[in-house]
Amino acid sequence: MKSINLKENQFIQFHQKISFKFDGVKYFGYKGDTIASALLRNNINLVGRSFKYHRPRGIYTCGIEEPNALVQIISEYSEPNTRATIKKIYEGMEIESQNRWPSLENDFGSINNLFSPIFTAGFYYKTFMGPHKKFWKNLYEPLIRRAAGLGKPPKDFKGISNHIHHNVDVTIIGGGLNGLLAAKSFINSNYDVLLIDFEEQLGGIINNSNKISLIDNKEPKDWLKETIQEIEDSKNIKILKNTLVTTYNYINHLIAIEDRFVGSKPIEGKVNSTLHKIRTGHTILCNGHIERFLSFQNNDLPGIMLSSSFEKYMCRYGLAPSKEPVIFSNNSNSNSLVYSLIKAGLKPKAYIDSRSGEEIEPNLFDLIRKNDVPLYTNSQIKGAFGNKKIEKILVEDSSGALNEIKCDCLCLSGGINPDVHLFTQSKGLLDWDEKDLTYKPSKPFQPTITLGSASGQFNFDNLNSDVNEKLKTFKVKKLDVKLELNTNTKYNIEKLWEVSPQKKSLWAKSFIDLQNDVTTKDIRQAITEGFDRIEHLKRYTTNSMGTDQGKISSINALGIVSDLLDKKVNEVGTTIYRPPYAPLSFSAIAGRNCYEFYDPERKSPIHSWHLKNGAIFEDVGQWKRPWYFQINKDESMHDAVQRESKNVRENAGILDGSTLGKIEIKGEDALEFMNLIYTNSFTKMKQGSARYALMLGEDGMVKDDGIICKISDQHFIATTTTGGAATVLGCMEEYAQTEWPNLKVFMNSITEQYATFNISGPKTREIMKKAFPNINFSNEEFPFMTFQFHEFNGTPLRILRASFTGELGYEIYIPSNSAPKIWDNIQSVGKEFGLAPYGTEAMHLLRAEKGYIIVGQDTDGSITPIDLGLSWMIGKSKKDFLGKRSLTRSDTIREDRKQLVGIIPSNKADKLEEGQHIILDKEIKSPVPMLGHITSCYHSSTLGHDFALAVIKNGHSMIGTKAYASTSSMSTTGVDIVKPVFYDEDNKRLVS
Amino acid sequence: MLIINCPYCGPRDQSEFSNGGEAHVKRPDGSKEIGDREWGEYVFIRANPKGLFYERWVHTHGCRKWFNCVRDTSTDEILVTYKLDEKKPNLNNFKSVVKTPSGEPEVGSGNFTVEK
Ligand SMILES: [Zn+2]
Repeated sequence: MKSINLKENQFIQFHQKISFKFDGVKYFGYKGDTIASALLRNNINLVGRSFKYHRPRGIYTCGIEEPNALVQIISEYSEPNTRATIKKIYEGMEIESQNRWPSLENDFGSINNLFSPIFTAGFYYKTFMGPHKKFWKNLYEPLIRRAAGLGKPPKDFKGISNHIHHNVDVTIIGGGLNGLLAAKSFINSNYDVLLIDFEEQLGGIINNSNKISLIDNKEPKDWLKETIQEIEDSKNIKILKNTLVTTYNYINHLIAIEDRFVGSKPIEGKVNSTLHKIRTGHTILCNGHIERFLSFQNNDLPGIMLSSSFEKYMCRYGLAPSKEPVIFSNNSNSNSLVYSLIKAGLKPKAYIDSRSGEEIEPNLFDLIRKNDVPLYTNSQIKGAFGNKKIEKILVEDSSGALNEIKCDCLCLSGGINPDVHLFTQSKGLLDWDEKDLTYKPSKPFQPTITLGSASGQFNFDNLNSDVNEKLKTFKVKKLDVKLELNTNTKYNIEKLWEVSPQKKSLWAKSFIDLQNDVTTKDIRQAITEGFDRIEHLKRYTTNSMGTDQGKISSINALGIVSDLLDKKVNEVGTTIYRPPYAPLSFSAIAGRNCYEFYDPERKSPIHSWHLKNGAIFEDVGQWKRPWYFQINKDESMHDAVQRESKNVRENAGILDGSTLGKIEIKGEDALEFMNLIYTNSFTKMKQGSARYALMLGEDGMVKDDGIICKISDQHFIATTTTGGAATVLGCMEEYAQTEWPNLKVFMNSITEQYATFNISGPKTREIMKKAFPNINFSNEEFPFMTFQFHEFNGTPLRILRASFTGELGYEIYIPSNSAPKIWDNIQSVGKEFGLAPYGTEAMHLLRAEKGYIIVGQDTDGSITPIDLGLSWMIGKSKKDFLGKRSLTRSDTIREDRKQLVGIIPSNKADKLEEGQHIILDKEIKSPVPMLGHITSCYHSSTLGHDFALAVIKNGHSMIGTKAYASTSSMSTTGVDIVKPVFYDEDNKRLVS
Repeated sequence: MLIINCPYCGPRDQSEFSNGGEAHVKRPDGSKEIGDREWGEYVFIRANPKGLFYERWVHTHGCRKWFNCVRDTSTDEILVTYKLDEKKPNLNNFKSVVKTPSGEPEVGSGNFTVEK
């Protein structure tokens, strides 16, 4: 195909040269060129290999509907599957063709084309069944994945996107003739209007074709300039260019993607695309139409192009891809291409129309006659032939004779479709138009208006009345625009979906989906095999399932199917048009919600101290908590945890417990409310005392636990688990509002307002005395499970005597801002007593030695307080609390429930693991009845061996018996089932 | 994404709200004897109709208030929102738009929607 540069225009100037590389070779284009127009200028039309058969493919269109010309942009983080027909070139751009090896010209995969007779619809499903299941996963799938497919995924991605929200009255999608007219109506009105166009320049058909000769007696170009200026000057209209609306959701919620670097290389670190989220009162769809192709043998050869695309290259890019293309059409839409060619001093090599001479528009007829263009009416192209490019076509004329025409380019037009994707995404209904042979929007589901060819108005005669009528509800000024056209006005089409090949051959291919390599034969075969419902057929053949969603071909497929089934097209129906309209990158969807913003990190006020002191962190919800502290780089986690826990048992340890959820509950009826929320009874509890409490779901299962401090009957402070804080607050609020609105009670989260330090160990009292000399920490003055308010150097403190380790312990609550100072002070006075920080892992080990549970680890939403052996925590005299009635359900009182027990290896040297199943027999003979599993397991240097907590069936009655823990190597370890407490069973250390 | 009209704050994006399931499910009075069936139905059984549905929502990332609404589950349209202490609206005031029991169309599903 030999292209020719035409005259310069407002979009392309021939002095602005740009160099770029395609498959490693340097070429030149002009500023404003797309990759496709630049390649065509350099007479390159082979740009890729097809999905399945690796057939050579060229540039088929001049826009977003492109099925073939997908390329990898090496200079932009190797972005794959970029449409060459819309991506603008820039200086130094590097582009690679896709799906070929070793090179585009000599592609090894094209051997698939030889085997193509066996690669038909459903081939993979039928063929790769045996001989063994593993063959698919290990052999077939990797092979197929390597051979088939599109571009390679980028290895490294640094693109940045942001999101912008809009709230407007009216959104106009498409800035072509109708979009501009609609926007013109809204100039200086009281409506907030958004006008969105995918291209860099507004104008649509005015820029892309020579259909219109005069608008309001002005050159279309001049009218366009004036109109855009007027719209830009109007304060109530915002224009978004280079922005594609991809999604039309419920309640007029639109999603659009804006390319911020059109025609230049994205700058690293700068936002390169913006995702617009638009809420609009009304949506006006002016997104025009898409031309469709026709099926005949080898209709995929490079050099074949849609006719309106050829015209767009001429008008927009000052480029004729070929000097003498052949035109093949069944409708009037290609008339203007003939006009444009002749106006440019070129001439079609032949004009072939399936319609009869009488049906062809008279002015086209005259034009063709006057310029001696060979005309074939009542004729069809039987096939195109050539090696990696079109070289000749075979035409069957009205007499049935075959004519061979040599050519380097063929322009196709199979008719036009309104671009209904967005309309159907909005759930609007379509109607089949038997005269225009296409689906057109009929009933909108939302406040959606369609104008122009997007609504199926393919003629210009009703332009003004259509806009005025449909915009009537807005009471905006009426339009009266005068249009004059260069070609005919009435759209006319004759039914033609497919031309059968001249010679029947296994290798003859007429494509119906170029991107997914689906042939019309595949459609036939699928129907023969019973896949005659359009949704089944789509999935079986993969028709219209590519990234282009079959924009130029899906209606043709419906036409072919309706003929085969002898049904009307509206009886066949359509498949669903799903968002997005065109591929949307994950980075655009993610926006700024990635990396450190993906899930915010929460840090305690002491975080920087932890960093300086060798803390290794663990994630607990969003919190970063010290897992353990390394005293030097060589210390292993096991050693650190054993050291930390031993130090708590022998001296004292300090844990940063600031992440614990804290909720303050106040109000006249706070006591009654707390009695309803927790299982415990708080009525007889003394002011200034604290209680370990459980919270259940209405199903009776343990949901959370914590310590409740009673300041008075009207004022409580509750702690929750770190992960459960938000849920517990949410649950309290829900019940306060929905079930007990009569109770006067308020609650608030104070988690981040207060830091919490847990100090425990036998030397704790000495440390506390020294750190807070004004406070009396004696057992008599400050007994176990009480709390006191104090002040230290002007900082208010709440100190609670409680312990999660089994040692003497205090929890200090300090306003977050003052916390680091007090933490440092405790560290320095504690040194002489051997005080050392410990992390969550040592805390888990210490609490497990005492048999204290962790909700979510030792419970899993199916464990009641009775299962845990915590019946004493249930306020049985209370009339009601969350989940109370469920504790006497038949399921919760049944005999063989899983219950919490302790496990130790019978042979103390044996190891145990979390998750091990507890079974009765030493030998593993399937089926193995499973009693339960280990929920927590640690090595204790205090005990000198491994120990575990487990939930097992009838566990409480099995205490004192022996069982086995199964290992991953199919052997067993003998274990003793014991009480779930391994240390200081009578709580002497706790209360003294 | 839906727009939900919080009775306290006004219309806001759905992402600010959390769904709380069926509304007007009465919690049995704990001070009285509750039968297994009554309690079991309260804890485990909720309606799941196609069409008009009383539903609870909470304005989680807003005023944190619970409120009720009537939603058409076949179109996702929220027809009315009202405060917890307001009387529940009569469903006969709304036109249910459910047309087919299963929603499965005879022919290709792309052109299928619930007609308003
Ligand atoms: Zn609100």
